[in-house]
Amino acid sequence: MAEAALSVRGLEKRYDSIQAVQGISFDVAAGEIFGLIGPNGAGKSTTLECVLGLCTPDAGSILVRGMDIRDRASDVKGIIGAQLQTSGLPDAMTPRQALRLCASFYRRAARPAELIERFRLTEKADARYASLSGGQRQRLALAMAFVNEPEIVVLDEPTAGLDPPARRDLHELIAAQRSAGRTIVFSTHYLEEARSLCDRIAMIDRGVVIALDVPEALIAKSRAHPRIEVRTRPVLNEADLKNLPGAVNFTLDGSTWQIGTAAANRTVTALAALVESQGAELQDLKIHRPTLDDVFHELTGAGAS
Amino acid sequence: MLRGYLYHLQLTLRLNFASRQALIYGYAVPILFVIAFGAIFRGGTPPLLHEMSQLVTISILGGACFGMPTALVAERERGLWRRFRLLPRATAPIMASILTARFVLIASAAGLQIVLARLIYGTPFPQHLALFAASFIFVASAFLGLGLLVAALANDVPAVQALGQCVFLPLIMIGGVGVPLVALPSWAQAVAGFFPGRYSVDALQAGYSGDEGGFSLAFNLSSLLAIGAAAGLAGAKLFRWDPGHRPSRSARIWVVVALLPWVAVGTGTLASGRWRPVAVPADPAAALTADQIDSIDYRGLPPDDSTVTPVAPPMDARDSAQPERLKGLVSGLETWPPGRVPNETQAVRNLLCVAAVADLNEDPLEGLIARAVFSHLFAHFNEQKLTQSLAWIILHPDDGTIVTSIPELGVPGDMESGIVRNRSTLYAKKVLGRIRGRLSN
Repeated sequence: MAEAALSVRGLEKRYDSIQAVQGISFDVAAGEIFGLIGPNGAGKSTTLECVLGLCTPDAGSILVRGMDIRDRASDVKGIIGAQLQTSGLPDAMTPRQALRLCASFYRRAARPAELIERFRLTEKADARYASLSGGQRQRLALAMAFVNEPEIVVLDEPTAGLDPPARRDLHELIAAQRSAGRTIVFSTHYLEEARSLCDRIAMIDRGVVIALDVPEALIAKSRAHPRIEVRTRPVLNEADLKNLPGAVNFTLDGSTWQIGTAAANRTVTALAALVESQGAELQDLKIHRPTLDDVFHELTGAGAS
Repeated sequence: MLRGYLYHLQLTLRLNFASRQALIYGYAVPILFVIAFGAIFRGGTPPLLHEMSQLVTISILGGACFGMPTALVAERERGLWRRFRLLPRATAPIMASILTARFVLIASAAGLQIVLARLIYGTPFPQHLALFAASFIFVASAFLGLGLLVAALANDVPAVQALGQCVFLPLIMIGGVGVPLVALPSWAQAVAGFFPGRYSVDALQAGYSGDEGGFSLAFNLSSLLAIGAAAGLAGAKLFRWDPGHRPSRSARIWVVVALLPWVAVGTGTLASGRWRPVAVPADPAAALTADQIDSIDYRGLPPDDSTVTPVAPPMDARDSAQPERLKGLVSGLETWPPGRVPNETQAVRNLLCVAAVADLNEDPLEGLIARAVFSHLFAHFNEQKLTQSLAWIILHPDDGTIVTSIPELGVPGDMESGIVRNRSTLYAKKVLGRIRGRLSN
């Protein structure tokens, strides 16, 4: 890897009796979208706050484009943009004023009007912050993160608390930044969000990185089997299901069978024939591939989301 | 940095003026204080001249120790300060902007109070404007320093109210800011020497009316500087960006550092022997200044030979021709009890009533009786004290009591008190005009 956009080594941070982060290390390449995933309290936000200089690590080093954040804080702040999980504005402040205020502290900054358009805030540009919806506030927070046209953008749980349409909206905006060549580091506890957006993912649990790879590689490492979910009327017999090729385990949940399989194609083909032969009505059929949540569950014994 | 400072300053002021709550606390409350003080201290000459420094100090105290920390802590609770911390080289310009904005808001509120006092009560503008402005900067700086400390210590907005009251109430009640020092017992006056309120009021009053108070202006300003600098230093050391961070254990040490100048200044004033209790003046007329006496207008007075407030020529040449009743009145004035009460101003007012009642009775000797009263006043009262008493009667026509019937001196009557007051005041002007050389005798 060429010089990393962000390099974190041996990061440690303790709050009173809680060891929030213990020895986290990772590198993020320039232009990469890098995700930190894990449950609430895993240490994601603490890691990002250390990167942003909002808290001082007890140990470890953080280099941004080769610059140590302790020695060159102002230079680093000049090339990093950030959206924080908890960062409100005064009720009467408008998005345009907030963007102008942030822009006034940078030597080089995007025009507020351009950011307002890019982050789809035109209708609310001069509205009071108090009148913005949750999604609009998150878009404004995102716009503020890009006000200095940063090389590296840090987003802490950017979609937390948003409804699905607003979340999709934000995914599009984040994905659009990839084409601008920016490095994006973001945390989330929505694992599928991380899978769809990130080039690489670091799974964090209890302040430790437990896995780090591209999403598909992480999933491929899973020992979990694909799962077929089938609902028929009448309900199929377990004895018949046990003869299906590849099927390895069975669970009946109401009138729906969950069938674990080591050979999904063959199992599904045989299952369809079984339903036909028994004259049953097929009401629902789904195939679930292993997910990041399965991987996380295998690694920690608990789900992330 | 300058661009950030200027835009933040502009935005802070705009948001303040867009907030109804900020306008109420920042401007409506100071206006109410002017009206309340005007009602309480209406007897001043002119009203509020000696209370304007208290009013302005209250406005500074409210804006600096409540308004600013409330805004700061509310912003910190919302996470705005965490956002600011991500900006490069932003701390100094943002803090400078916040202090500047608050200073502008406080100064505009004080300016509004001064103008309103002038319009409503005729309170003069500060006599020494440059000195007043300089004192204002010192006072505002001291209390803004305290405000920073309050913001650093308070975990949330209700805590600002609690901490702010810890500063506000003692200063208002026994610090010489709300209740005048003269109205406090001597122990409370001694305690007030430990509080910055007293030095603020005295420093501002020096600019307002030239009255420095118990200590020198240099001492007052130095005390404020020390108190403000220590509080500001402690506030800066304890400053917190994040609402999740709580004051560290070292916070207590910095609170002690902030309070050290209070103790040092108070102890210094007591130990140096310069502290003296502020006494109630025996006669308020004694507090009148030469400027106030000179400001009295004698134009429009009825001539001495008219039917209103007539005054006969000096009586020396006519002694032999004095009517017996007049002789009795002249000798009666010597022992007339209302003319000998301990309060000289009231005694003068009572004597002037003799002339006024005779005038209103259309007494055939009305001009001679007035002349007899004048002669009695000139003969029995110290000129300076008489001048002050007459000026007080003229400037406070509704003050004190009057006599409407004087049968014991042969001047009976049952006059309406208002008209007797009016005639007494006119006679007071005629006497004072003669003393000041503005009217011929």
